[in-house]
This record gives sequence, structure tokens and C-alpha cells, in this order.
Amino acid sequence: MTKRRMFLRMITASLLRRRSRMLIALLSIGIGATILAGLVTIYVDVPRQMGAQFRSYGANMLLLPKEDAELNSETLAEALKAIPEDALVGAAPYRYVRLDMTSRQQSFTAAGTDFEQITKTSPYFSIEGEYPERTRQVLVGKEIADTIGVKLGSTMELTYQPTAKSGDQTPEESRVPNATLSGSAEGFGGGVVYVTARLDREGKIASLSVDASTQTPEYGGQVPEDETYLNQFIGKALPLTQGQDVDAFTGATVTSAAVVDALNKATASAAPVQPKTLNFTVTGILTTGGEEESYVFLSLSDIEIMTGSDQLDVAELSVSAGAEQLEAYVNQITESSASVQARLVKRVARSEASVLEKLTALVFLVTLVVLLLTMICVSTTMMAVVSERRREIGLRKALGASDGSIRAEFLGEGLFLGLLGGVMGAILGFVFAQVVSVNVFGSSITFQPLLLPAAIIVSMAIAAASCLLPIKRAVAIDPAIVLKGE
Amino acid sequence: MLFRMIRGVLFHQKGKMLLIALTIALGASLATGMLNVVLGVEEKVNKELKNYGANITVKPKDSSLLSDIYDVGEGGSLNAAYLREDELGKLKTIFWAFNIVDFTPFLDASVTLPDLSSVKMTGTWFNHHLDLPTGESLDAGVVGMRSWWDVTEGRWLDEKDGNAGSEIMVGALLAEKMGWHASDTVHIAASHGEQDVTIAGIYDAGGDEDEQMFATLDLVQSMTDRENKVASIEVSALTTPDNELARRAARNPAALSSRDYETWYCTAYVSAICYQIQEVITGSVASAVRKVAESEGTILDKTKLLMILITALSLIGSALGISNLVTASVMERSQEIGLLKAIGARDHSITGVVMTEILITALVGFGAGYFLGFGFAQLIGHSVFGSSIDMNPKVAPIVAGLIALVTIAGSLPAIRQILRLRPAEVLHGGH
Repeated sequence: MTKRRMFLRMITASLLRRRSRMLIALLSIGIGATILAGLVTIYVDVPRQMGAQFRSYGANMLLLPKEDAELNSETLAEALKAIPEDALVGAAPYRYVRLDMTSRQQSFTAAGTDFEQITKTSPYFSIEGEYPERTRQVLVGKEIADTIGVKLGSTMELTYQPTAKSGDQTPEESRVPNATLSGSAEGFGGGVVYVTARLDREGKIASLSVDASTQTPEYGGQVPEDETYLNQFIGKALPLTQGQDVDAFTGATVTSAAVVDALNKATASAAPVQPKTLNFTVTGILTTGGEEESYVFLSLSDIEIMTGSDQLDVAELSVSAGAEQLEAYVNQITESSASVQARLVKRVARSEASVLEKLTALVFLVTLVVLLLTMICVSTTMMAVVSERRREIGLRKALGASDGSIRAEFLGEGLFLGLLGGVMGAILGFVFAQVVSVNVFGSSITFQPLLLPAAIIVSMAIAAASCLLPIKRAVAIDPAIVLKGE
Repeated sequence: MLFRMIRGVLFHQKGKMLLIALTIALGASLATGMLNVVLGVEEKVNKELKNYGANITVKPKDSSLLSDIYDVGEGGSLNAAYLREDELGKLKTIFWAFNIVDFTPFLDASVTLPDLSSVKMTGTWFNHHLDLPTGESLDAGVVGMRSWWDVTEGRWLDEKDGNAGSEIMVGALLAEKMGWHASDTVHIAASHGEQDVTIAGIYDAGGDEDEQMFATLDLVQSMTDRENKVASIEVSALTTPDNELARRAARNPAALSSRDYETWYCTAYVSAICYQIQEVITGSVASAVRKVAESEGTILDKTKLLMILITALSLIGSALGISNLVTASVMERSQEIGLLKAIGARDHSITGVVMTEILITALVGFGAGYFLGFGFAQLIGHSVFGSSIDMNPKVAPIVAGLIALVTIAGSLPAIRQILRLRPAEVLHGGH
């Protein structure tokens, strides 16, 4: 029998025969390794998991259009590419407009948004009823609901009035460079003639279009088609006088007089955009304790239909990242995008960083203390188990075993126990961490592959270290005394 | 005789008993430390969360809607409602006064600058000193309620300074737009007065407030002739996370049974505190800022649960560790037990002797461990939250019971197992 096989046999025999003692040693190393693996896994994952919880405070970043640029769904999607998908909790676009409820003579601030994103960026919204799922449904703030007395399921007729109403500006005030003017005047037979003109940089007419569909088709109706007639307006400054600045259209004097009249009366704001009215069903009433209670929320597509534009005022982003990473995203978006600038919501971002830092420190310290104490516990147990075998050591020595071989054998035993306990602990520890994560945060934890070798090495080191001291003592004593049992 | 035997073991086998005492001390200190931390953590984290600002806003009844929705400026609506400044001290007299950490009143005014543009100036308390009827005194104001403001230039406006009445703080965006710097003097005019004010500091709030300016409440009241009037109050309170009862109560406290009402009223739910604020501030509506209140609840619950689970793990770990060691030490003494049996000792007296020895050791270990553990809790408290963790009276009995249970559970089965063996076998050393 070779020496090595004998060594292995002695170790396994001792492990198998002295089952109860070895079980105790194994158990204690296993517990140590479980606690090590479990706590370290939790500690590594806590900032991420807690960070996700902090997202319930709502958006920590805003995307706004840069000056003279437009924010819409395309530029927004473009800007969002700077943030990795798993860090972006949600991005809710907002378009704010003023809507009138004509029947009640009330007007409200309405926010067009994406409700699916709202549930992610503003989880604190408390809804009685449900979020709108389709178009033509509306979520009403509690203050508005209380004032006008709407309930779930009632209908609201909301009207969008184009911001500047006709008559806001005089024709003289409107004639600024690059303006688009529109106006109307009564033409032949009481029919109304509409004109739209764009001014150039010097405030002179750059282009002109006429709607004369109410006029006699053979005469006045021909006006919009006749380029020679229309071209004479180009490059002229308003107001105009027919017969002096421009000639009348042959055969339709009244219609051409109306065109000149409409142009002279035209204002920048008299846009032919009609007030748009839609009917909405109330699906939910919103309570937040904040200013949102005085808004109504509807889907972006409804707002688009009513206003005829797809621009956005702001996008609220909820990003799960540390303070420095957030700053990096903000700079990246603001620098790379031509139309979008990012800003941090300092109140949320700053507070989150400070609280999260404290929580992480708490878990770190707790982990450290628990680990330290557990490891000492493990080594005292190992020491007790080993010192019990002083007689055995004495006997071996008496039979002629060298100190070195005894030490090697015990160390081998300890390392083997450490290996076994480490593997067991790493697995149990992960299971424990998983249970904690699912219970506390409701999401699963990622396995840290490095932790398996770490747990094994630490438990082997502790097992070996706690074997060495009692063996050293036992070996140092005269075998006769040990055997005698003193 | 029993006494002598026990003394013999305790003094002659010092080394082994010390090892057991050490392990038990470590286990006990772990349990004490963790339990103290877990019981104190809610309060500590709650205080940290106050960084997020107010979780309760108090507004006059019925007025809020008008100015919020229709942008009615001050004086624009005929019967604008206000709260009374002299009632603010009453916030510290409600049942949950101790939980009210900070509060500050606000009163907005529109002021005209020399270039005829108008900006919003908010009157508030900065570090307003209050002497309460209860004999206490405190400093309340935005210095505590806007912890996220960065004063980029100059300093915080100090109300204890004699010049506070002619100083303002200006938002970073407004200052940039107007080209203002700290200690510049600006002439401002409001509806009922105009005067020169000095810029004490410029702040970066990272929000709408960057386009406004802040002045003392007194200044805004006198410039707009609204003495003793306050438009809204922000309150920061330590609260208990809402449960089903709190949600029911928030809808209508009157619908609760008298017993539920009492439970609710005497628990620091945000709705209960709101209710009590409405009782003391005339004509007010106090409402929870859900964004803050709700999130605080979530985070508190999660932190507590996390700590409880970690504590449970470490308790199980130390319990197993202790009972393991005790079992090992009992088994080690099989020869001695066998000898006792051989010379005629009865089973129950042997058990008695061994158990007494171990329990005395455990008691010593527990005593040392309890204070060590309390030290650990303080270490964690000071290094993480910068304040000490209160010694919870519940912890000592829990840990003592745990240690007793674990020691008995670890030693009794082992003793019984050895007693079952024949003395000859044990003494011979066969296993």
C-alpha cells in the first residue's frame, strides 16, 4: 500500500468512523460558509435592489427640448439610447395643454401622456378606478373631480382652443418677418374668401394661397389657379391697394377685392385651425397630494388629434443608477443630442444617493460583524473537536508517527471538511439570499460565480487554521502523559 | 458535593469552559447587536428619508384649487383664504408632536424688478426660532426642509441676523438671467411697498425654485399687506407605513369603530397626523404628499424586512454554532461521565451536574456578550447614522431565553446519548 493511499484511508476512516464529531465540525463550517455566501450575495445586490425601490419616489431625470428645438417621440427615443435598457425604469412623455369644458365654463391643464410609462415613473399615483387603456378615456385629478363633480364612468366634453384666438393681434402687429398670416373677407354673393400668406425676412409677401371655393367657378373661382395674378403679390409689402399695388383679376373684381381686403385684415393668429372637441369617459380619479390632482390626464394620441402636433413639453425619466452615473447620462444626452437637454431632479437624485449610501453602509457593517463572529464561532467548535483527540495523537506518536505526518493528516482532514462545508455553504447561502430577495424585493438575485471559490477558500482556511493550534499543543506533549489521560 | 464538583469543573477545566463561554459570548453579542439594530433601524432610516422633504402639506380649505388651476395671483381672487402664522407653533402640541421633525410656512408674492419684469418671491422661515407654550424651543424652516439645495454663492439667509428682514435668496437661473451676485442690492416692488434688499445667497435647487426668490415671511407679509397670513405649510413628520386600517381611516375617520379610531389616532400614520393637524390649525386641509409618504413606507418596510431576515440568519447561525460546541464539549467528557456512572451516580444527578456547569458558563458568556453586542450596535449606529441606537429593554430577555434554549438543546441530547452507553464501553474508549 502506498503512502498516499494510506494517508487518504486514514482521513476518510476518521471522517466516517467518528461520524458524530465530524458531523458537528462539518455542520459548523457549513453554517459559517452559508452565512458568508448568503450575506455577501445580499450585500452585493442590495444597492441595485434598494435602488429599484427608491424609484417609487418618481422621476429623477427630465428631458426638455433645447431652445429652438422640438421634443417629440422620435427625438425622445433617440435621446433614450444613451441610457442602457436595464437601467431605465420608465420614461413618461408629457404634453401640457389647456382644455376647456364648455358645458361647465371651466378650463383645466391637461397632460397628454403614456399611461403604461406612468405606472413605472410615478408608482405613487393612487387611482380610484383604472388607468385609461384606450383613446377617448381620461384620468381626472381629485381636486377637479371634486369641483365639477365628475364620477367614474361619466363623460366629459373637452375642447382645445388654439392658443392665440383671432383678434389677439392687430394686422399691423402681425406683419413681422417670417410670419404666416391668414385672413378672410366677404367676396362675391356673400361667400367668404380665405387667404394665407407667408412673409419673407423683410416682411414682404413670399408666397400666397387663396381659397375661393365659395365664388362663381368660372370667374372668381379661377383666382387661386391663376399664377400671373398671384405672382404680382410676391415681394410687395402690406397693406395693399387694388388698382395701385396690384391689378384686379379680369372678370372677378369683387373676388379680387376680397383677396386684397382679406390680406390687409390678415393676422398671424387667425389660423384656420378649428377648436377641436372630443368626448371622453372618466376611467379613474387620481390622488397624489400634489399638484397633479388639479390636472386631467389623457393619451398622447388624443392630444395629437386635438392640437394637430406631436410635440412634447417634457419627458420624465426614472433611471436606476448611482449619483455619478446619473450625471454621466445627463451630460451624455445633453452633449450628443441636437434637440434634447437632460436635467437631474435634484431633490430626488440627491436624497436617493445619500439614503442609499447609508443603507449600503448599514448592510456592509452588519455583514462584517456577523461574518467575524460566525468565523470565530466556527473555529472554536473546530478547536474543541480537534483537542478531544489528544489521546489518539499520543497513541500515534507512541507508535512512531512523526509530528509532521500527524500534522499533515489533521490538516488534510480539516481542509477536506472545509471543502465540503464550503460547497454546502455556498449553495445554501445562495438559496438563503434568493429567499431574502424574493421576500423583500420581489425579484430574484443573480448568482455571484466568484462566491463559490471564495466561500470554499475561506472555509478551508478557517478549518485549517483552527486545527493547527490544538494539534500543535497535542503534538508538543509527551505521548505517555497524553495517553495516561492527564 | 454538587457544588464542589461544579466548582472543580469550572476551575480545573478553565480552558475548555472559557472556550464555551467565549463562543456563547460571541453568539449573544451577535444576537444583541442585531436585535438592537433591527429594532432601532426604522427610526434611523425614517430620519434619513426626511431628506426628501415634506410628506404633509397644509393648505387653507377650498382655496388651493383656485390659485393652482387658474393661476390667480395674490389679491387676484376676492376671498383668498389663508392660514394664520401665529397658529404654527400649535403643530408641536398635537398628540404626535414629537414626530414632527420640521415645518415651514410659505406665502407667495409677485414682485416687480427694476427692469419691470415680475418674478415670484416666496416668503418663508429659514431658521425661525420658536418658543413653544410647552417650554420647548426649536428652529424650523427651509434650511432643514430643502436639504438638497446647494448654496452656490454667498450663504443661507440667517434669521438670527439683524438684517434678515432686508435680505433675499435668489435661484440660480434667475440670478444668471439678471446677472446678480451674492451681496448685490436689488430694488423690488410689490403690491403694498417697495424696498432695497440684499442678496444673501444664490441657491441651486434643481427645479422650478431656481427661477424664483425667497425672502423672510415677515418681509413678504409687510410688502403685500398680509400680516400674520400664510398660504401653505409644509410639514416633515416621522410616520408609520400605512396599513389597511390607515387606508380605511384616510377615507373617512368617522366611519371607524371607536376602538379602531383609537388605534388609528394613537399610531403615527400619516393620515392620523394630518387629521390632528387639521384639528389645531383653523380652516386647514392637511394632505399627505403621496410621492413622499408612500415611498417612505415602501423603503422602511423593505429595510426592516431585510434586516429581520439577516438577523434571523445570524441568530440561526449563532444558535447552531453554540449548540454545536456544547455538544462537542459534552461528548469530550464521555469518560468522566462514564466514570461517574461506574462509581454509582444516578443518571439524573449526572445530568444535573453537567447541565449546571454548562448553564453557569452560558450565563457568564451571555453577560459578557450582551454588553459586547450593545457595543456593536452603537458602532453600527454611529458609523452609519451618526447617532446612537437606543438600548431596547426587550432585547435582554429575548437573547437570554435564546441562549438558555440553545445551550440546553445542545447539551441534553448529548448527555442522554452518553448515559445510554455502558460505563465499561465508555471508559474503555471504544466508540
